[in-house]
Amino acid sequence: MTTVIPFGPQHPVLPEPVSLKLEIDNDVVVGVLPSLGYVHRGLEKFIDTKDYNQTMYICERICGICSGIHGITYSRAVEKLFDVEVPERAQYLRVINSELCRIHSHLLWLGLFADGFGFESLFYECWKYREDVLDLLERFTGNRVIHSMSKVGGASRDLTKEQIDQILKTLDDLEPKVKNIEKVFVNNYTVKKRLVGLGVMSKQLAYEAGTAGPTLRGSGNAIDVRNTADWDIYRDLGFKPAVAKEGDCYGRTKVRIDEIYESIKLVRNAISKLPNGEIETRVKGFPTGEAVMRAEQPRGEVVYYVKGKGTKNLERLKVRTPTFANIPSLLLMLPGVKLADVPIVVLTIDPCISCTER
Amino acid sequence: MGMLNLVLTNISRKPATRLYPFEVRAPFKEFKGRIVFNPDNCILCGLCQKKCPPDAITVTKADKTWELNVFRCIMCTECVNGCPKDCISISNERAKTGAKEFIKIVVPIVDKPKAAPSK
Repeated sequence: MTTVIPFGPQHPVLPEPVSLKLEIDNDVVVGVLPSLGYVHRGLEKFIDTKDYNQTMYICERICGICSGIHGITYSRAVEKLFDVEVPERAQYLRVINSELCRIHSHLLWLGLFADGFGFESLFYECWKYREDVLDLLERFTGNRVIHSMSKVGGASRDLTKEQIDQILKTLDDLEPKVKNIEKVFVNNYTVKKRLVGLGVMSKQLAYEAGTAGPTLRGSGNAIDVRNTADWDIYRDLGFKPAVAKEGDCYGRTKVRIDEIYESIKLVRNAISKLPNGEIETRVKGFPTGEAVMRAEQPRGEVVYYVKGKGTKNLERLKVRTPTFANIPSLLLMLPGVKLADVPIVVLTIDPCISCTER
Repeated sequence: MGMLNLVLTNISRKPATRLYPFEVRAPFKEFKGRIVFNPDNCILCGLCQKKCPPDAITVTKADKTWELNVFRCIMCTECVNGCPKDCISISNERAKTGAKEFIKIVVPIVDKPKAAPSK
């Protein structure tokens, strides 16, 4: 006989209000039903009242962790409507901002994940390192979490020589620290016992379920939006997607740790190639037509659709966030998992429910 | 083994946190702390009000006042960049807790003498 028990919206392990109805048979999950809409804020409708420059600040507030990349993707989508070429220096600044966002998001996730399987000292360790990156972002953009660095037509803040030195110094310090915690996540007996073989998704299944981001790459698919034609700049910086073949929780953890190293490498390369010049092009007029822009967030691929009608407000803004793409994969991963392991499997897709429900 | 090393180094180190109210970290030079308004050059054009995304600034021409709702302000610096007379700047000092919700400043603008009626 099966029992249905609610998982969330409030749950002691997860900071996000993820809401699932779990069908349990003898402590093993046999069916899952997600329910979305608990933290819906109506942000996509709210843009009706703001002009297209101000909408950037609304888009940044969709998510608190990947706010920088939300703003950058929106700016790029509107620039596509206007057919504007952004100065090269601004593009590099955007890359630096995105990659620093990714480092702090992955360190945050590693901490929460460690907390999820009951390893509290590891959680403190990860968050201590994350604080260094947040300080960098505060120096670079002026804010800790909501950066407001990007704007339609370029970047609103430039990097000085002093800030560049600070970024390079902090990253040099950070790399050995991440190596230390990597040893624990990858080699520790207790951690491996908890993660290996849990929530397995095969390469083919992950691809067919439309999974995005580290969840997809953890199953052996080397698919990353930074590797596509939309983001030529990443190719110049020598970007390689991090992939793990395992397809379980352990594999996804390894992908995220590798992505921290990849991001550190990208920031260093971007700084070494940082060109001089303007950081902003003036965008004039009102947007018309439609545009779609994709970007790789820490959690996966985000899709922005914008439609202008020739007035200062956009007619429609639609955001497809990575967690929304990852929830179907969660429904495929959970059956067969024990109830005590459900929070860990849910955490490995790095759910951002505020993003998903907007 | 990795965790044991981390724990041992942490034992001999001072705490990573600060005793906040007694020990305050100096704000970074680039930090967006609060909006500072200098009314001397203001011409009450209202561009800052127009550009403000959360509608935190109200410019009233009739009373010659410039008003900022501190609780609504999101520190985006649109007004700082948009002011034609550079009246608005940003300070790296954090707004103190218990600050007033509204900052209302009277602009000392001199009315232009009305043109003499043509005869």
